[in-house]
Amino acid sequence: MTKTADNVNPHIYEKGSERQITSAEHDEELIDEFDAREIFDLIRNINDPEHPLTLEELRVVEESNIAVDNKENRVTVYFTPTIPHCSMATLIGLSIRVQLIRALPSRFKVTVEVSEGTHVSEHAVNKQLADKERVAAALENNNLVQIINQCIAVM
Amino acid sequence: MTSVWFTPQFAEEIMKNKDLFVEIQSIITDLLAGHIEITQLVENMGGALTDKDAENREKGMKFFTKLLKELPKNFLTELQLKFISKFYIDRLKDNHRVIPSVIEGYLAIIDMDNYKVQFCGEFLTTLFREVACQSQLRQDRYNIYLIINKLIQMDLEFMKTLGPDFVYGVISSMEGERDPRNLMFLFTTLPHFIKSIPLGHLTEEMYEVIACYYPIDFQPSPDDPAAVTRQDLANALNPCLCATPDFGENCMVLLVEKLDSSLRLAKIDSLKLLSESCKTFKPETYAPFLKTLWSSINREISHKTDEELKMAAHQALSALVAKLATTANTDQAFENFVKGILISMQTAIAESTTITQFVQSSKVLLTTANASKESCVIITKSMIPAIIAYYEFKTSPKLQIASVEFLGDLHDLAVHWQVLDQIESQIKEIPRMCLTAVSQPAKEYQIAGFKTLIRVKNILETDLVLPFIEVLIHNVQYSQDNDLLSVSVETVHAIARKYPELIMSLVVKGRCNLENLTEDKVALQKRLNLLSNLASINDFTKIIIEEMLKIITTNESEAPKVVEALSETMSNTSLFSDQKVTQIESDHGLIDSILIWLLKEIHNQEHLIHGYVLISNTISSLPPEKQQKLLEKHTPSILNKCADEEIYFLILESLYNSLHQSVYDEKFEEIMKLSLCLALKGVNEIVRTKACVLVAHFLNKAEYGQQFELLYELLKNHLTSCKRDDTDICPKLIILYGWITKALIMRGSDMFLFWLQKITNTITNTEYCKQASEAIGLIMTDCPNHLTAKQHCRISLLYKQRMFQSFSNLTDKIGPSTPDTKEAYLLSWAYVIGKAPKSVLNNEVLKISPIVIDSLDYDNKDLLLVMLEVMCHFTQAKQTTISDSLQTVLPRLVNLTKYVKSMDVRIKSLQCLYEIANSYRTSLLLPYKQDILFDLAPSLDDKKRLVRNMAVKARTRWFLIGAPGEEKPN
Repeated sequence: MTKTADNVNPHIYEKGSERQITSAEHDEELIDEFDAREIFDLIRNINDPEHPLTLEELRVVEESNIAVDNKENRVTVYFTPTIPHCSMATLIGLSIRVQLIRALPSRFKVTVEVSEGTHVSEHAVNKQLADKERVAAALENNNLVQIINQCIAVM
Repeated sequence: MTSVWFTPQFAEEIMKNKDLFVEIQSIITDLLAGHIEITQLVENMGGALTDKDAENREKGMKFFTKLLKELPKNFLTELQLKFISKFYIDRLKDNHRVIPSVIEGYLAIIDMDNYKVQFCGEFLTTLFREVACQSQLRQDRYNIYLIINKLIQMDLEFMKTLGPDFVYGVISSMEGERDPRNLMFLFTTLPHFIKSIPLGHLTEEMYEVIACYYPIDFQPSPDDPAAVTRQDLANALNPCLCATPDFGENCMVLLVEKLDSSLRLAKIDSLKLLSESCKTFKPETYAPFLKTLWSSINREISHKTDEELKMAAHQALSALVAKLATTANTDQAFENFVKGILISMQTAIAESTTITQFVQSSKVLLTTANASKESCVIITKSMIPAIIAYYEFKTSPKLQIASVEFLGDLHDLAVHWQVLDQIESQIKEIPRMCLTAVSQPAKEYQIAGFKTLIRVKNILETDLVLPFIEVLIHNVQYSQDNDLLSVSVETVHAIARKYPELIMSLVVKGRCNLENLTEDKVALQKRLNLLSNLASINDFTKIIIEEMLKIITTNESEAPKVVEALSETMSNTSLFSDQKVTQIESDHGLIDSILIWLLKEIHNQEHLIHGYVLISNTISSLPPEKQQKLLEKHTPSILNKCADEEIYFLILESLYNSLHQSVYDEKFEEIMKLSLCLALKGVNEIVRTKACVLVAHFLNKAEYGQQFELLYELLKNHLTSCKRDDTDICPKLIILYGWITKALIMRGSDMFLFWLQKITNTITNTEYCKQASEAIGLIMTDCPNHLTAKQHCRISLLYKQRMFQSFSNLTDKIGPSTPDTKEAYLLSWAYVIGKAPKSVLNNEVLKISPIVIDSLDYDNKDLLLVMLEVMCHFTQAKQTTISDSLQTVLPRLVNLTKYVKSMDVRIKSLQCLYEIANSYRTSLLLPYKQDILFDLAPSLDDKKRLVRNMAVKARTRWFLIGAPGEEKPN
């Protein structure tokens, strides 16, 4: 039996423009700090598991919902499921986590959470995503890894 | 002994002897020589043709058919053919074994010169009655179709007289045909048949027989060497389905049904059929179906991802609108149809929240308007006010900007269909709208507004000029943004072409008045740019150029800026054509004034560069005679000055470097000598380089023969007279060799090899290897200021390729390089490889790959960048030379990801790693995966963001290797 998508007709938003490359970024001497935009660029193109659309187009992730603290080595990402009862919320959160684990230096502590009040089982999802062992266990599951890899791969 | 075919035993022989076919040529020779009559021969064969046993008759007919096929086409007379034809027709009633030869034989008969089309009536009647076409083999069915087709080609009028029986026969022969090749043949011939033979009451039958194939669903067998593809069949079928207007109604029913199909191919085919059908069907045919057609087209046109489907839908819509437009004056249907489109698209635009949605709907409207004059009027009339109102909603900046651009598109279509007069009141709102847009402070609005204004400049009214100019002049003087600045200048230029007097009074004599031009220092340079741009318009040339030249000659402090502005705008050939430059030079003596200024300021080097460029560009635009005159006027005095101070040589060079190839005078030798001398002994480095350039230009341009010989001789004499032991000269000499080689190879002369060899020989020399690689770099690098087509130099095609080959051959001959010279050696290679066409590299992978891999160990940024680039290229092409050396390559690349001196090297090496992961087989890469992931981790924390981005790309790609979800054919 094929499962139909939770949200069959999601609202599609405009894709933002690519980051403008400034002359400072070409300067060998200057140090570019990590900023919210850079984290956003890492996850904006992750595909939604249900639709051939990116998380950016669905506004699941937004630049304003990302916080970076370079000194304390902290990255916090809040994501917003398209509908409050989305069953894919955990999977999306996991994809974001996995992508950030792979793409960010290990000095950062990454937190991925559902934006407050946007999902019915917000706490359960947050708890799952914060539990290192459960994340690790999920990544042992070949089927799950396959889906996550496919979501992330379209860069 | 006489041959067997002279006797009645011939029949026996045909039945018994299988090898008799080899004798056919001899029989034909006998026939042609008149040794035997055809009647006699047939009589001798008689036994075989009428034998009781069908097998023997088959042999007989086969033999006869073969004979007919081999006979010269003009041999048989009409009477003979008539009898043979009758005989063959009779044979159609024979056993099924005989039929294939009969059909094949008749095909040969039709081809005879004396065949009369009247013979075929009976043949066809009997054929259709006696032979069930679809029970024959593929080739025989093909022969039947071929016969029918040939007959139609032969005499269409006669075939028409055969009436409905013939049509019926054709229909029943092809009904049920399944072979793709036969279908291909039928589909290509049928449109002609249907168009030319009246179908009568059989129209519907004919249509049904064709329509049953629609839409084509077919997969060619994979081992078919020359397979007919589905697309071929589908393309051929469409013209059959709409070959005659009589098919119209049936075809439309089918079309509407298939448009709603869930199969993508059915939809695409139907849309293509719809476009195709508009060529033949009458507009009335579509009337009952318009609503359904539009809703189907609309659905496909708004498809999000399938570009092919979308394109097909656009084409169908365009064809349909154009077709219906032919009845615009007689029928309401057209107007209703277009209005229907208009209403649904207006709604879609009003509801759109993203650019994609907006563009999608606006494109539908543009397609509709583009299809016909009438639809253009309807669409533009209501869309222009609608879009202006839409802009006022202030939805989002992007949408507002898109709507301004859309107005420009609508205007262009109105111009295309020449309907401006019909929509006058609407269209003139567009410039007003542009004014609203450019009054916004945001750069994006202004750029969009100005760009649209440039498109609609012809409908701009006088009262709007002033407000536009206010904004424009403000931009021109104070804008920091280069895009906005250039668009603004362009806009002023556009308005100036429409309203020269207004711009003259508002800009040239008003806001940017030349009199007080120098008062406002800040905006001076920008205003000068605008003015020199405007100078390209005839009405302004005189006043602006004169004023500028006056400043150059009188005002010392501002002159450099004026020269810079002039030099920059005049090098833009789209503004200043050669004629225009020539006219300016002859009317205002541009070069004279610049020269005076240069001579006066000669020791103030930094400002003068624009002056040299301006002189050289101006000279290059002049015709040869003018160049010659200028040289005669100025050379002697400047030469004198050169003797005192070498710096004057720069002026000389700017005068001489852009001459036509035909310009030559006795001074050339003196200048050549001077250049050679300065190239080797000049104190100032710029002077040395310019001297080399001039030598190169002379060698490149001189006509072969006396002129070239003379200069070449001068060159050689001068070089031999130089002292070899003067170590100071050696590096300069090698550079000069570089220029000489470049000049010669670019003109396609073989003499370059001599000089190139001199350079390659020094590559192994510890002391001078650096200069040698520099010289190679010089040969391969294009420079916008030297040896260009604009400077009338000869540039032979593929000279870089030639250089690659020659260099490659020469390096084979030089000795082994020591560690000291290896880097220079590799660097020379890098210059050659980096600039040679990629296709050449692909042929020399085996030779280049080791050099590339070797180079990755050297600490030289230029070398590494080129080699990494080539490595990426090879990897993308999945070259095995790289995958065979992964063990060496990967650690070197990883090492380079930490290259401190250049972020570009880090980025490129990471890109190489990404490409490797992307290109090669999992089994090759998997052993390295864990190491690479570990080694790439530090790059994720690189201090430069661009490096980090590439590191992320490479590392996430390596994560996927061998992991579930990786999409890579292994």
